Parts: sequence; structure tokens; C-alpha cells
Amino acid sequence: MSSRIKLAILSFALAAMLLPTSAWASPTKVVEWWHIGTAANDKAMNQGFADAYMKLHPDVQINITVLENEAFKSKLTTVMQSGSPPDVFQTWGGGVLAEYGAAGLCRDISKEVKGTAWGNSMASGVWATYTSNGHIYAVPNDAGCITFWYNKDLLAKVGYTSFPTDWDDFLTLVKKLKAAGITPIALAGNDKWPAMHMWSYLALRLGGASLFSDTVSGKNAKGFNDANWVKAGQMLMDLAALKPFQDGFLGATYNDEAALVGNGQAAMELMGQWAPNVQRDNSSSKAGIGDKLAAAPVPAIKGGKGKVTEVIGGGGGYALGKNASDAAVDFVKFLTNVENMITAAKTSGILATTKGADVGITDPNAKMVKALVDKCTFFQLYLDQAFPPAVGGAVNDAVQTILAGTATPAQACAAIQTAFANK
Amino acid sequence: MRSMTRTNRLMSAIKYLASSVMVLVIAVPLYISVMGGFKSVGQLRAEPVSVPHPFNWSQYTDMLAGKVGLFWLELANSVVVGLGTVAVVLVIGTFAGYALARIKFKLNKAIYLYFQLGLLFPLAVAILPLYLQLRTFHLLDTRIGVILPQAAFGLAVMLMLLRGFIKAIPMELEEAAAIDGYGRFGFLFQIVVPLSTPILATTAVLTLVASWNNFFTPLLVFNTEKKFTLPLGVMGYMGEHAADWNLILAFLTLAMIPAIVIYVCFQKYIVAGLTGGAIKG
Amino acid sequence: MYGGMGKPSILTLAVLLGPALIVFTALVIVPVFEAAVFSLYKWNGLGPMVEFRGLANYSQFIRDAIVHKALWHNLIIAVVSLAIQLPLAMALALIVSDRRFKGAMFFRTFFFLPYVLSEVITGVLWQFIYHPQYGLVRAIWAILAPAAHAPALMGNTSTVLWAILVVIVWKYFGFHMTIYIAGLQDIPQEQIEAATIDGASGWQVFRSVTLPGMRTSIQLSVFFSIIGSFQLFDVVWAMGKGDPVNAGETIVTYMYKIGLQRFNIGYGGTIAVCIFLICLVFNLFYQKALVREET
Repeated sequence: MSSRIKLAILSFALAAMLLPTSAWASPTKVVEWWHIGTAANDKAMNQGFADAYMKLHPDVQINITVLENEAFKSKLTTVMQSGSPPDVFQTWGGGVLAEYGAAGLCRDISKEVKGTAWGNSMASGVWATYTSNGHIYAVPNDAGCITFWYNKDLLAKVGYTSFPTDWDDFLTLVKKLKAAGITPIALAGNDKWPAMHMWSYLALRLGGASLFSDTVSGKNAKGFNDANWVKAGQMLMDLAALKPFQDGFLGATYNDEAALVGNGQAAMELMGQWAPNVQRDNSSSKAGIGDKLAAAPVPAIKGGKGKVTEVIGGGGGYALGKNASDAAVDFVKFLTNVENMITAAKTSGILATTKGADVGITDPNAKMVKALVDKCTFFQLYLDQAFPPAVGGAVNDAVQTILAGTATPAQACAAIQTAFANK
Repeated sequence: MRSMTRTNRLMSAIKYLASSVMVLVIAVPLYISVMGGFKSVGQLRAEPVSVPHPFNWSQYTDMLAGKVGLFWLELANSVVVGLGTVAVVLVIGTFAGYALARIKFKLNKAIYLYFQLGLLFPLAVAILPLYLQLRTFHLLDTRIGVILPQAAFGLAVMLMLLRGFIKAIPMELEEAAAIDGYGRFGFLFQIVVPLSTPILATTAVLTLVASWNNFFTPLLVFNTEKKFTLPLGVMGYMGEHAADWNLILAFLTLAMIPAIVIYVCFQKYIVAGLTGGAIKG
Repeated sequence: MYGGMGKPSILTLAVLLGPALIVFTALVIVPVFEAAVFSLYKWNGLGPMVEFRGLANYSQFIRDAIVHKALWHNLIIAVVSLAIQLPLAMALALIVSDRRFKGAMFFRTFFFLPYVLSEVITGVLWQFIYHPQYGLVRAIWAILAPAAHAPALMGNTSTVLWAILVVIVWKYFGFHMTIYIAGLQDIPQEQIEAATIDGASGWQVFRSVTLPGMRTSIQLSVFFSIIGSFQLFDVVWAMGKGDPVNAGETIVTYMYKIGLQRFNIGYGGTIAVCIFLICLVFNLFYQKALVREET
């Protein structure tokens, strides 16, 4: 009998603990902010931004949700599909954001940024990635491009004082590194997208800007079956035949890739502007390879139509959910003001989009990448992001099948085209 | 006779050998995790199996002292969610299990089979609609929002174990209880529940372990980091310390310990319950 | 006819069954039913569901090469569970159930340990063990074949599935062993002794007494093995998402990718329904086979 009473009390106590605690008197405006800065310095920085804003605006309550990249994507997708997005969240723009926007899940902030002081605080080119059908759904904070990041010392060992500018020479370099017992290229095969960048860059060098724009617009009737896409696959296969990647690269994650370069075990990787930071975080010494690291554009291909000034890149920004209040928009404005962007550039190594925040970019490599983007003659958003997820996923899968040898380049390109045609 | 003893000895030697090999197979990964948590990254890379030298206690103590990560908070959250799930499953499961085992009514078999449908799909199958349901009930970012789905998906196994067990309680006991003037609930609380303690303990432990290890439900439901449970903490910690496998292993080890302790304390119920419930039923 | 307590009142039944029925229906049945509705549409999960496709998603399911591959993997996992994991569990159960076997309790406890570890933790731990730059496999290789590079088990399409299978057996054999121990406890000791006195060998005793006596536990363990194989998700996901090139893909990881990563909720719903149907059909046949065997 008494044990029953005890049980009853216990369950009561439990029930009391479990009740939602949202019954507190809440500040008038709540802003839900989801970001992926799980690294200690990013987390502290973002919390600092929120605290600073709340101090300025006591009536606003900012609730932060920090999630690891993959967990963030899973969760955001579900939340989006349920129709209740957070107010401010990390975005990479492109096809995914466009789908959210088309479904009415994002707040159109064209009015707030088009032709306003805020909008003009950034270079006009950075907005395209976050614009769909004339509506702007997010504010960029980071814009860069994919380049090779290489270890100067390791290249010097095989007689290269600068990075090759021609693909044939690049292959020679790979062979020489291989012969010297150095892993030429670190590659995260399990994460797929790093390899996808390699293939898409080869296609860009072969077919140039028109290959991309005509495929996307549908003007090129062959689409991804175009000879240049297939040939890019063939060249990737030829590269893979030299066994330039670390052992077991198909099972490697991006963190593994970054660790290999950051520890000086691999000579290079093809990666975006965040590479030095991630290398540093993943290296045993927590220092990366320091000033031995250099960045260089993807070499040109003899006979190819593409120029070295054509780049593939992207970055990130703050998207606004459909229920975002003006306070949320104002908070994003605050996040992207010059002072905070300088802080972010210094802390997270982003290539800050706000004019004047360049002073936060001190690393010469970062400056070089920024210059590449600023002076590019054609800019293509990462292929897996540019399209809706169904197509982007198919692109990543297809490139992996080429590297694993389970499909020919022609079959892989046909698979992409099928997904693209069905979108 | 002599040869019998010899074969017996041989057999028992083989048995010990086989068991010891299996112990090694289980222990080595766990050992690597525990010891890896004490090593530096460099040592971990050079010699993953050796004993750490020196022992970097700080990798554990920093977590325990709350300097790194949110171990204690996540532990407490796991405890609350786990106990909550157990409480819900025990209450609604015992009621339903009792009705299905001891009361004859038209839909009895049909309702039991209906619950058994729960065995046929994993949570992942219905993750989006489940999310929509929880939102409708305003249960997102609440602990109840994790507890109820976990309880719902655990119900099928619970009922399977419990029904068989309760069925085995002799009818004479029920008749005697009726004569003594017990009502149906009196019988349930005074006789069925005490007699079913082993199977209730089993389901409690199994439910607790399942809740403890669940990843997707809390991932979907919780937004606030302060409510995160240990498996979410592990993933977050991995994101934060990408390639620092020593720190990750230290966190894994700490996260494993509570589950192991719970199990070792209650393990006799698991076997006892499985014997009495499903098998006999 | 209503047992000791007479005819139950509707109210009693409602109080007893109501809470469980409500929770179960609202959080298990309704969501699964909704997934079945999604399966008839082409829908990215965003905005209204308008593009009705009828059974087109289902015909896609039947033709989808990755579905075939994933189901094949599930089948391999099921077969390995039956052919390796269950005999192993049975053998160990026999060993640790022997009363004269000293330390039985210790071994029993130990063998069940991996089962209580979370799938995420297990997956991450084994990811490390298989890691070609750090892990245990590399260390073993360094001793056995110092000259050669250690195999990257998770990076080779021909080894991924087997690497995952090792983890599955490692994690789940203790569960099946425990079911068998429970079954063994139900076999009257006298039966075994009687058979032994009659001169039956150990193997004969096992064949004629132990095995028949464990029918129910074997049935249960086979059921959990097969259903579990077709529902496998967390461990595979934590160990590399079933890649490279779907080499470790299971039907649930594929469903997750389609539904939540590729925004193809409609087709994801189709896969969900098919998983349910596969499990249901298996269950019906299995129950029927058991009944037939009994009569």
C-alpha cells in the first residue's frame, strides 16, 4: 500500500518536472536563431552577438539553437516540412533556399535590402545566391570560392615553388609527389561534395561559363550528357587512376581530409575559404601548417574553353523564416553590420561580405581567395547547392560512383541528367 | 569414468576458451574507448591499444567539472526523459496489459493485434508525420514531447511481454480475490502488480535503456541545448571537436558509463522477465 | 466465463485501455497512416500537397536499382543474423547456463553489455576502430603486415557491409543469447538428466531435449532478428550513412535520404509503406508457419 503511495508521489513529482516550462512571463518579441557554429569560439561569438543585441533591445529575447552541421540539416528539413521555420537560420542559398522560398517558408526581405543602405553595404554580386524569382530570402555574410590549398614545403620537396597553372603540369606534380611517398591530395570520399567540386571544376575548365549556363537554362539540349561533362568525369577517373588520394578515401569524412592537410600528411586539398580554419581545428597541434599553406586557382586545361578567372564558390548567410518579425530582420541587420562582420571575419575566418569588413581579413591566402571572387568573370554556386536537393544529391552520388568505379562517366552523367530532367 | 572426466575437462576448457575470446571481443573496443580518453591525439594515432602514458586526466575531469561540454546537464536530461518514459509506459502499459490478459471482451484479440502493429515499423518511418502531430499538440521542445512518442513506440514490446506474464497468474487467485471482495482494480493493484514485479522491472529497464539511447526523437523535438540528452551531446561534441578523437572517446566513455551501471544493477530482471513473459506467453 | 471478476463494465475497459490506445494511435498509427497518404503524391514536403501521382511512386520503388541493392543488403544482414549470430548466441547461452560453469554470471553480464550501449555511441566508437589513420584495425595490421597499408574497411565498397555486420553481431548477439538463456531455464532439468542417464550423448540431448524445449525462444529470436534487420538504421547511419556508393545502404537509410535529405517526402512515404508491408507479410507468413508446425 505505502509503496503505491510512494509511486503516486513519484509520478506526480515527475509529471511536475516534465511540464513545459514555457509558462514564464516572456519578453514581447522572441527571435529563434539556429546556427551551426559548434566550435567553442564561434559559439561564444554568436552568443556575444545575441547578448549585445538584447542589451540594446531589452524587449527582444533571442533563443539560440546550436547544432552540428549534419544534425542541423536533418532537423531544419523536418521543421521546414512541418511549416514552422525558425526566425533566423544558417543558409547556403541556392536551390534549397529557393525551394523554401517558393513554398512561402521564408520572409522576402527584398523591401528591406533592395536599394537601401543595408543592401548597399554589400557588393551587389553577393545577393544572387540568395535570390529566387526576384525575391531575396537571406542576407549573406560569407562569400568565397573553391581553390586548391597546398603545402608549400611538400611541393618544394618535389621541385615546385609555385602551383601548376596547367592541368598536365598538375598531373606531373601529382606523380612526383606520389613517387616521393607523399599523399598528393586529401579527399573526403564519404562526404561526396569535395569530390563533386573536383568534377565540376574540370567541367568548368573544359566547357567554360557557357556550359554551365546553357545546361542550367536548358538551352543545351543534351544537358549533363554534353561531351564536356562526360569528359570531366573521364579526367577525374584518369586522375583517380594515379591513386593520388589517401588510402581509403571513399570512407573519409571532411574532418579526416582537413586533418591530413593540417598535419602535413597530404600535400593539398580542393576546398572553400573555410579550409585553413578547419585544418587548424583538425590538426593535432591545433595550429595547422601555418604559413606553409597557400591557395591557388584550379589549373587551366589545354584546349578547354574555360578561363582561370571563372570560379565555383559560395558561402553562407542568414535566412529569415516566414514568421520572422521586424525585430528578427533588425537583428540580422545588426549581425551584418561592419563591426560584427569584422569580428566574425577574425573569429571564424569567413570572407565577410559587408564592405569595409575586409580589415578583419588578415590572412594573405584569404585575401587571395577574396580577390579571386571579387575579380571573377563568371561565378557558379556549388553545383550541389545550386539545384534543388533531389538534383544536388544526384550530382554528388554520381561523382562518387565514378570514383568508386561502379559507373562510367557517361552513365554517371546520364544519372544526373535524369534527376535534372525530373525536377 | 576416467575418460568421462577427461572429456568433461576438455569440454570445460573449450567453454572457458570460447567465453574468454568473446569477452575479449567485447572488451577491446570498450578498453580502447576508455584508454583513448586519456591519451593525447599523437599517442592515440601512434599506439591506439597501449596503456596511456602519461594519463591525461584532464580530458575527463574537464568534462566532469563542466569546463568542456555539458555532460552533467545532458546526463540529468537523459535521466528525466528516461524515467518519464518508464513512468508513462508502466502506467498505461500495465493497465492495458492487464485488460488484454485478464478480461474477456469482444475486441480483445483485435486490440492486442492492433498494438502489435507497433513492432512492424521503426520510428524513422513516420518521423515527419510524427513531428507534425507533436506540433499540433504543442509538445515541441518539451520533455513530454520526447517521452510520449518513446512510450508509444515502446508499448508493443511491453504489451507482448506483460500479457503473457499476467495470463500465467492462476485463475484461482482471481476467483479468491473476487470472493474477498476485491474489485477489478483492487485485484490489479493488490495482486497482479506485486506478482508482476519482475516483468515490470524488465520492461522498466528495457524502456529506460531504449530511451537512454534514442537519438532521433530528442533531435527532432528539442531546440534548446539545455534540454539535450546524452546522444545529442555526443553528436554535438563530435561537431565541436572534429578530429580530436581522444576527446571524443573520453566523452563516449562518460556517456556509456551510466547505461552500463543501470544495466549491471538491474540485469537480473532482464533475464527473469524474458523467461516469465514472452517465452511462456 | 468472464473469469473471477464477471463481465467488465465499459467504463473499466475505457480506463484500462483508453490511455494506451490514445497514445499509441496518436503517435504511432496516425503518423504512419499519414506517411501512406504522402506516398501517393509527388511532394517535396514544403507547401501544399497537390501533385497526385497515384501508384507511380510504387512502380518507381519496384524499378529503383538502389532499392534492390538496399533490400539485398537487408537480406544479407538477416541471413547473417540467422546463420552466424543466432548459433553463436545459442552456443554461448548453453555455456553460461551450465550451473557447474564457474563465472557464468560474469560472462552473461558481459555478453549483454554492448546491447545497452546507444547505437550512436556504438557507431562512433566503431568508426574510430575502423579509422585507417588511427584505429584498432590499423594497429593490428601494423603487427601482422607492417609493410602494407591497413585496409580502409569503411572506404571500400566490397568491405563496408561486412564491417557493419561485425558491429551488428557485436552489439546484438547478447540480446539473443539472453532470450535463449531464458528459454533454457524453462527446460526441466530432470528431462535432461533422464536423457543423459539413458545414455544419450551431449549432442543427442541437445537435439532431442534442449532444442525442442527452446522452440518459443528460437521463434522469438528469429522474429526479432529478421524484423530488426529490415529496420536497421541508427548504427549504419552513425558509421557512414550507408556509403560509399550505397555499399552499406539499408532500406531505412535510403528512405531517410530520400525523404529528409532529398526532399522527396512522397517517395519516402512509399518506401516507408513498403517497409511496413514487408514486415507485415513476413510476420503473417511467420505466424502461419508456426501455427502449421504446431498442428
